[in-house]
Amino acid sequence: MTARSSARARAGKFTATALVLLFTLFPVYFMLSTAFNGRAGSGTDSLFPSHFTMRHFSKALSSGASGGFGRYMLNSAIVTVIVVVASGVLALLGAVAMARFRFRLRTTVLVLILVVQMLPAEALVIPLFLQMKDLRMLNSLLGLAIVYTAFALPFAIWNLRGFVAAVPVELEEAAYLDGCSWWRMFRSILLPLVVPGLIATSAFAFVLAWEEFTFALTFLSDQGRMTVGVGLAEFLGQNTNDWGGLMAASTLVTIPVVVVFVLAQRRLTVGLVAGAVK
Amino acid sequence: MEDVTVTGGVRTAPAPAADARRPVRRRPPLVVRLRPWLLLAAPLAVIAALLLYPIGRVTYLSFQRYGLKEIISGHPTYVGLDNYREALSGSYLWHTVLPNTVLFALVAVGGTVVFGTLVALLLQHLGPKSRAAVIASALVAWALPAVTGTYVWVWIFDPDSGLVRRLLQDLGLLGPNGYNWFTDRLSFYGIAELNVIHHSYPFVAITVFAGLTTVPQELHEAARLDGASAWQRFWNVTVPVLRPVFAVVTVLSTIWDFKVFTQIYLMPGGAGSNPDVLNLGVWSYMKAINQNQYGLGAAIAVLLTVVLLAITAVYLRVLFKEDEIR
Repeated sequence: MTARSSARARAGKFTATALVLLFTLFPVYFMLSTAFNGRAGSGTDSLFPSHFTMRHFSKALSSGASGGFGRYMLNSAIVTVIVVVASGVLALLGAVAMARFRFRLRTTVLVLILVVQMLPAEALVIPLFLQMKDLRMLNSLLGLAIVYTAFALPFAIWNLRGFVAAVPVELEEAAYLDGCSWWRMFRSILLPLVVPGLIATSAFAFVLAWEEFTFALTFLSDQGRMTVGVGLAEFLGQNTNDWGGLMAASTLVTIPVVVVFVLAQRRLTVGLVAGAVK
Repeated sequence: MEDVTVTGGVRTAPAPAADARRPVRRRPPLVVRLRPWLLLAAPLAVIAALLLYPIGRVTYLSFQRYGLKEIISGHPTYVGLDNYREALSGSYLWHTVLPNTVLFALVAVGGTVVFGTLVALLLQHLGPKSRAAVIASALVAWALPAVTGTYVWVWIFDPDSGLVRRLLQDLGLLGPNGYNWFTDRLSFYGIAELNVIHHSYPFVAITVFAGLTTVPQELHEAARLDGASAWQRFWNVTVPVLRPVFAVVTVLSTIWDFKVFTQIYLMPGGAGSNPDVLNLGVWSYMKAINQNQYGLGAAIAVLLTVVLLAITAVYLRVLFKEDEIR
């Protein structure tokens, strides 16, 4: 009786696991199989590809008719580096202030940081577009990086705050007793201990800047300045779609994000729920 | 209530201790009191200039007529509530845009939270190897960028040569002319739901799974001894203990799914050519950026923002209750 029910339970578990894996991985599998398929003509051809090829990748990366995806990746990389560094530095300052000091309006600032996180990009894109237009920064990668930094900042502060708070105050006091100045303590004690938090924050900023779509779509019109989020659309033509090229380029966009996610996974999830799971 | 008094006690405790150590100085010098603000100056300046000021400006814009003519002349005209009147009157908002936005979000949140929770429960019952496999695959789905993920789903359902059309035709379920799933509102949003649930369930699954490991095993055993079924134990033991986790996950999903933009905009017809499938975000973008009616677009954007801030208020309540804002 129990043996049979446990066998049935095992079969059920196996089926459920298989279905979850199928649904979860199928789009990724299909992207890869199309990208490496020598005959990416129709969907069924790509389901079980027979001719392995790197052609779609080399074609996408060479600057040709569909316009050098390598250039877009470089642009995205530039923007991403600026955003990761800028948001990391700014968030660290803000997080130390929020985690280490009790001051008037502290709760107000905290609520403000939470609320601005929720503002929709669709509402901010209209005034920021007009603003950047006035400043003649519409096709500037720096302009894009500044906007992304602002978008990454609230969550980055919120996330990093928890990591700073986790550093025992006693360590700081010990440094003061040894005659350290606040700045010295910050550099030698606090900063090294919040590096894990900085990694999680950087991962979040990286993903945001690397794959952002709405602002890139609105700000960039110059082909040479496009980032990957908008550059992908070039593989879709009026009449013909280059699915092989689109999936190859999509694969190139996805790989760095997957790497960053796997590296920072545990810290990222901890930050997102920020102590709701205690 | 108890919590509040406890933290209150903890918070006041260090003060007398510090006083005892340094009895001379009652109040810290100005530099020390200003230190948090010196640290906050740069981040707050960025937030103010690029998030708060624009939200003010978009609200201001929503009361103006601001089109191409006004951009060139630089003199917008104040039109009061005209833009709101235009957005709110007529059947387009009520029959198309609002149902698209709200129904989509409801189904997406329900689907994400239910499916994510089911996967979390499954994870709990798996051995270490298959558990690692499911978590790793969920991470990959989570990491798949919204832009590329959307293109993959569009490719799967492509009306000309997509996988679904070919498979259905091979099975004889679809005629030789095929079918365009992107023109019909229902199937358009069905595909969008698949895309969004696929992308956002991993967050719920991994978060709830982390929460499940904190539920005391004794509670489950006690319930089992009392003869509770697995279903009863889920509702009477797991759910009450994980209520804060479910609250946070649901509210965050609601906020994300209400302002979904990329996943709609990048689908065929989603960028404006098919007016049946626009949601609040895309409609606002269409009006402002593509048709240069910045005032009207701003008014729609403000409506969306108000909805999101209302949901955020619920979120803040949850966080305050959980003593998360300290």
